[in-house]
Amino acid sequence: MAAVPVGADGVRSGEAADPAMDETGTEAAGAAMGEPEAEAPPLPGLQLVHQGAEARVYRGLFLGRAAVAKLRIPKRYRHPALEERLSRRRMAQEARSLLRCRRAGISAPVVYFVDYVTNSIYLEDIVGSITVQDHINSVQRSENDASSLLTLAEKMGEVLARMHDEDLIHGDLTTSNILLRPPVEKLDLVLIDFGLSFISALPEDKGVDLYVLEKAFLSTHPDTETLFQALLKSYAATSKKSGPVIKKLDEVRLRGRKRSMVG
Amino acid sequence: MELTHRLELFPDCTVTLLLFNHVKNAAALRKKAMEGSIEGALINPAMIVDPFQILVAANKAVHLHRIGKMKTRTLNAEIIFSLSPNNNISDAFKKFGISDSDTAVLIVLVVDKEKTVNLGDTVSQVEGQQVSLNELPQLTDTARVKKMYKVTPQEEKLGTLLDSIVCRMSTKDVI
Repeated sequence: MAAVPVGADGVRSGEAADPAMDETGTEAAGAAMGEPEAEAPPLPGLQLVHQGAEARVYRGLFLGRAAVAKLRIPKRYRHPALEERLSRRRMAQEARSLLRCRRAGISAPVVYFVDYVTNSIYLEDIVGSITVQDHINSVQRSENDASSLLTLAEKMGEVLARMHDEDLIHGDLTTSNILLRPPVEKLDLVLIDFGLSFISALPEDKGVDLYVLEKAFLSTHPDTETLFQALLKSYAATSKKSGPVIKKLDEVRLRGRKRSMVG
Repeated sequence: MELTHRLELFPDCTVTLLLFNHVKNAAALRKKAMEGSIEGALINPAMIVDPFQILVAANKAVHLHRIGKMKTRTLNAEIIFSLSPNNNISDAFKKFGISDSDTAVLIVLVVDKEKTVNLGDTVSQVEGQQVSLNELPQLTDTARVKKMYKVTPQEEKLGTLLDSIVCRMSTKDVI
């Protein structure tokens, strides 16, 4: 996941230009080839931060501010109509959820601009932030006072409880989708990547959300069972509706892979 | 004095902001704006907390203009509409446009590379004092802005008023 520095003109060196495509990629109307290719946005100071299966994430200056640009990667194997609809829905969900979070007082990046043509979203860049994943790894590696991690877990439980109380399901909870705003000691958490999020009041959906986090947590960070316990405890203490959710979580755990379904 | 920014996503477009105080001919200016005899969008600075708010609106307006999906009929009207947190066009004009009794005016000019706009021309039409954009915070009516954008108390603890505003502006077509 190395950052790829981009030349000042914003063009990533070595990127093959699709000859049938308009250079900017924004002219979708009338383009014979279908949806535009995910071109690098011409932002000053552009850097490719992450290339995932869903999108390319860049950092750069947008309207004078440090921003993150997420450009969805078109899936050519999908039927174009389906692809269009899916991309748009995911982007709309992300934008809607980010606003919902803010309105409820949950820290999430500010949305600066949504482009439904190139399927890109421009968000606030939390400068100097690190993912909870990287933080936990660095604390564990340095064998520092791991009790600070307990407080972190408690904070996570709190934030997730507040999110679920808003009936907002993240859909992709992992420790790399939660950021720590600098200074790290303040444990100021920021939730990101709401592309798979949706609204639901069902304890089942909330339970599954937590289950996804549990699986991701325990597989990425070995020997953290106590941490996750602390997270759940804090979650239960913060959310008024947590009872049924935890119950569902237990049920979902039993349903998991390679689990015996025998009573 | 004025503030100019080149839109990153539309490199042939620059946005210039001009701020005026002690304006005496707001009524005449509003009439000119409606007739189309003055360049630029005329905005009430009391509703603006930071030039970034205008840049976000202008960026969205230019984007929609380029793809032919504006909700209003002109680029300037679209800029004013983009500032609004809701989808009511006439309400946007009422709240964000200038009214006859206003004494401060913010003019936003979006210029394409080929066209050259004479700033002096625009400035001379305003009977008032051109001031630096740094004076904008003094002209902002924070209470009115909070009310217009319906900023929740929990949200105020999260970030700046500008953050709340920009978020609503950019997501209003999906919510």
